[in-house]
Formats: sequence, C-alpha cells, structure tokens
Amino acid sequence: MNQTKLNKYARSVSIIGVGCTPFMYTIEKEETSGLTEGEMFGYAALKAMEDAGVNPQDVDYYFHGEASPLNGSNYLTPNIQIGNWFGMKGKGSIHHSEACCTGYLAIEQAVNAVASGKYNCVLTGCVEFGDSVPMSTDEEDTVESPKHPYKRQKVTMDRFLKTTAWLYDRTYTRSMMAGQELIYDDAAEWYVRTNGITAEQMNDALNWMCINNMRNAAVTPLSLVNFMKDTDQPIPTYDERAEKMGMTLDEYMNSMYNPKMGDFLRAGGVELKCDGAAACIVCATEMIPQIAKNLKHKPIEVLGIGSAACEASTPHFEVQATIEAVRQVYELTGLSGDDLDLFYANDFIITSHLISAEIAGYLPKGEGWKYIVDGRTAWNGDKPINTNGGRTAFGHAHAASGLADVYECCKQIWGEAEGHQVPNLEGHKLPKTAMLRGYGGAQNVAAVVLQRKDD
Amino acid sequence: MSIKLEKVAQTFYENLEQGKILARKCPKCGAVEFPPVYACNTCGSLETEWIEISGKAKMHSIVLPAALSSKPEYKALGKYAYGEIELEEGARFNGVVRGINKKKRKEIMDAGKLPVSCHAAIFERAAGFKTVVFDLDEE
Repeated sequence: MNQTKLNKYARSVSIIGVGCTPFMYTIEKEETSGLTEGEMFGYAALKAMEDAGVNPQDVDYYFHGEASPLNGSNYLTPNIQIGNWFGMKGKGSIHHSEACCTGYLAIEQAVNAVASGKYNCVLTGCVEFGDSVPMSTDEEDTVESPKHPYKRQKVTMDRFLKTTAWLYDRTYTRSMMAGQELIYDDAAEWYVRTNGITAEQMNDALNWMCINNMRNAAVTPLSLVNFMKDTDQPIPTYDERAEKMGMTLDEYMNSMYNPKMGDFLRAGGVELKCDGAAACIVCATEMIPQIAKNLKHKPIEVLGIGSAACEASTPHFEVQATIEAVRQVYELTGLSGDDLDLFYANDFIITSHLISAEIAGYLPKGEGWKYIVDGRTAWNGDKPINTNGGRTAFGHAHAASGLADVYECCKQIWGEAEGHQVPNLEGHKLPKTAMLRGYGGAQNVAAVVLQRKDD
Repeated sequence: MSIKLEKVAQTFYENLEQGKILARKCPKCGAVEFPPVYACNTCGSLETEWIEISGKAKMHSIVLPAALSSKPEYKALGKYAYGEIELEEGARFNGVVRGINKKKRKEIMDAGKLPVSCHAAIFERAAGFKTVVFDLDEE
C-alpha cells in the first residue's frame, strides 16, 4: 500500500484550552430540547477559550466540523452560520467533514494552519445532532422541506441507516455489496484469524470492551449515560442490568438482552448516536506567553499526526489504514507504544478499541484481548483505554466525538478528570503522552500523538 | 498512451451487460486494478489499460452476514459471505462469495483451506444494473 513520510512541523503547536458539551439526546429534556447549532458549537468554543485564557479576538481563524450538515442541520456551509455566536464575526473559517473521523482531523487541520506560520492561534470545533434532524414545516418532511428555526425531531434508525449509505463509494462499492457490510465484523474476523484465538475468546473480549466502556462512562460527568440518568429512559451499566435480571455479568452479556447483531458483534458493541459539540484552542507554542496571558494549564504539544485512508472496497480497510497512520507518526516522533500513558480509539464498532491499541503497540500483539477481559483497560486499570466510555457509552455525536476524546485526554493529562482521574494505581504518574486513533468516513484514519510540555 | 477523460465506470457496467468482466492493467508494473480506475495504486503510473479478467480468484477471509450486515435484497444471493477476494490477475478487494453458510465456513476453517478458490459471476441487482459477485468453486 502507498506510504507517506511525515516531516516535522515548521514550529511547535500546542493545545491550550478545551471545551465540550454533555453528550445528549437533546430532545429528551425540556432544558436541552431546541438547542441550535450556534448554541452547541458556541458553548464548546467559548468554554475552550475560557479554558485557554483567551478571548475571541485573540483567535485568528476557526475550523468547523460536522459529519452530515445537510441532513443534520439543513446547511451547506455550516461554518458560516455560527461564527457570530462566539464573537468571531468576520473572521475566516472553513468547514470540513470526514464523518466519524472529523473530530480527529479537526486537530490535524488546526495544527497545520498554525505550524505553517499563517495563524498563531485558531479554534477548531465540531458539532453534530446524531439523534435528531431539524423539524420540517411541511408534510413532505424531506431534506428539501422548509425547516423550523429551532425545533428538532427524532431521527429514526431507518432514516439514519439510509443516510449512512452516503458514506460509501456509489460507483463500485455500494454496487458490489461487500465493503459497506464488512465494517461491522471485518476487524474481528481478522483478529481471530491472525492471532489464532477462538470465536468464544473474541466474544468475551467484545463483551468486556462494552462493560469497561460503560463503567468508564458512568463516572464521566459529560457522558450520555450521565445525561440520561435522571430521565425515564436511563442507560444502566451492564453490572446494574445483570443484577436487575438476576444474572451473572457473563450470562447477561451473552443473553437475548445483548443479541448478536453481526457475525461477531453484539448490540452493546454498537455506537450510541447522540448530540454534542466540542472544541479546542490550538496555539503556536512560542506565542503562548503573548496570546494566552491567563493560561491555566501546561500546554499539550501535538507531536505528530499520522493519516491514512482506505476506501471500503480495500481489504481490512481499518487495519491497513491504522498500520500506516501509526507507522507514520512513530517514524516522525521516534516514539513507540511503550511511551503511551493513555489510548483513545474511535470505537463506534467496538472491535476498533482492541485492534487499534494493539497496532499502536499500547497492548502486546495477540495478547490485548486478555488485558481487556481482565479489566486492565478500564479507566482504573494499568492500561486505560477510552477513559470517557468511548462511542458505545460516552456517546457518538459523529463529528464531535474526536474532539470530545481530545477534551477527555487533555483533562486526564492535566489531572482534571473529575471522578475518574488516571492514575488510579499507586506509584503511577499523571499521564503525559497519549495517542488518539481517529476512524471513520469509510474510512479515514488518524493517529494523533499528544504530550504535555513540562518545561 | 495519453491521459484521457474516459468513461471507465460506464464501460465496466456496459461490458457486464455483455457478459464480460473488465479490469485495468498497469503498462509499467503489470498490477491490475479491480474494480477499474484510471491510475495504478501500486507503482503510481498515471495510466492503465483495459483487460478482461479470467474470473479465477481466491477468497482470503470469510465474514457471514447478520442483522446489521444484510439487506432484504441480498436474499436473492442465496447463501453467501463477505470477504477479501484476490483475482488471478492479482487485484485484492472486498467482495461477496455465494455458496457459503455457517456450516460451509466451519468446514473450510477446520480444514485450514483458506484461501479457498472461487470464480467471478455476474449478478443483477434489484435496481436494474449488473454487478460482480463470486461463487465458491466445487471441490
């Protein structure tokens, strides 16, 4: 497969502030139903500015990510519609979409813009309404229908799945019927076959990723699990569900309550699509003293970002693209999996969590599934993955998920992860270096390496 | 040769109507692109040229359809699986192979028969166009 060699950034770039909304089903609560794109993105943007100790006039430019703006917001140019909400009227901006990988490539775009020297300080943010669409004001209720100014309606799973077809190549892949269907189980099949484990062992690993994600989300204040806690449709942890049914955890995870939805995949391993927004302030490291005079945290330097993309007709697209993206960033930085204190994987299909952590060398090859089953990858284990609960429990507001992971990662590195701070184990230091493996859009992959600057 | 603004997709689909399955071969390195595209993804040559494939292939991985990974229309395929296909000419891509169910997969895997031989076939989609699938070879 084609390979790319990364060059060092022309100057150091750091994340200095982060902001994130709760991940929500906005229409399920009176206080959030009717929130708009400007309000969601604006909140995350202003929280990031406050966190960085800057104001909108210190920020030169903004990047806007949304996976499906026409369907989700009835916009073609969503970046233009919201700048006024966070004090950046008149400033330049651009919109981008790489579907579920948008939030990770949001960092890539912002860092490139600052490293080049064109801008000193930029905002990069994403917003998505994964659970609802703008309410139509006519009876036809199509994408083309006129929309209400702020009211939204639930998006049915049937309608959502029809729009996910847009992720795949129309010329050949949709026609040949395989690429779009292999997203659910290809990585699991690959892992089982190439590591010689049994389907039952893979099943255990898949179940334990769900359990760990749910336990992590339960202690993460901004998670969808916490948002739904006080509603009539709470999302209990698997421990709570098993107890309620009078089953052991193992019995519950293999029961009709967690049915097989794929060849390997069970229902618990699929994303909880929802609404949310997140943002970061990215600044030239050398300019921080002038721009962010009220800086609260140590800067977190973006050491490098590997990028690869394999269209879905490519065999083992996720595996191949992850291998290449990780190779690029390790070659650039000289780091290896042994240097990572934290790992995040966009796991809207939960298998991603295992295979990407192994490819990155964060877990040993062929052995990672044991770490997962033993609970060592939960937030309070020695090899934490997705400390916020990932896509199956924190939630998946498609474009915004990547930046929500960046938010969580930075909070962990700063020692500010309320209620679930790593390290939980005696003798372990505060995490310093992390990788975020972005994935999505059938299929982009990013391998983002962040490191706190301590001097 | 020169770079042409050429209707590759239409040519591919029109040939399926005639019972021919076409790919594109790189004149420099010999790599084959399937489904057919303009340039070579192996050596970077800007051009490729048409060839007709033999249809002989191997299947390197097997994933069975399930609730999330099937559609009502696919019932017309009979029993089938998804997986990595390698053409005799070398191209590798994701495809559908008919003739595989849970029992057949177990037989193949237990006997260590992967990669297993298959051959290309032309299949008519409900939407009114033809596409390429594969059939497991008889033993």
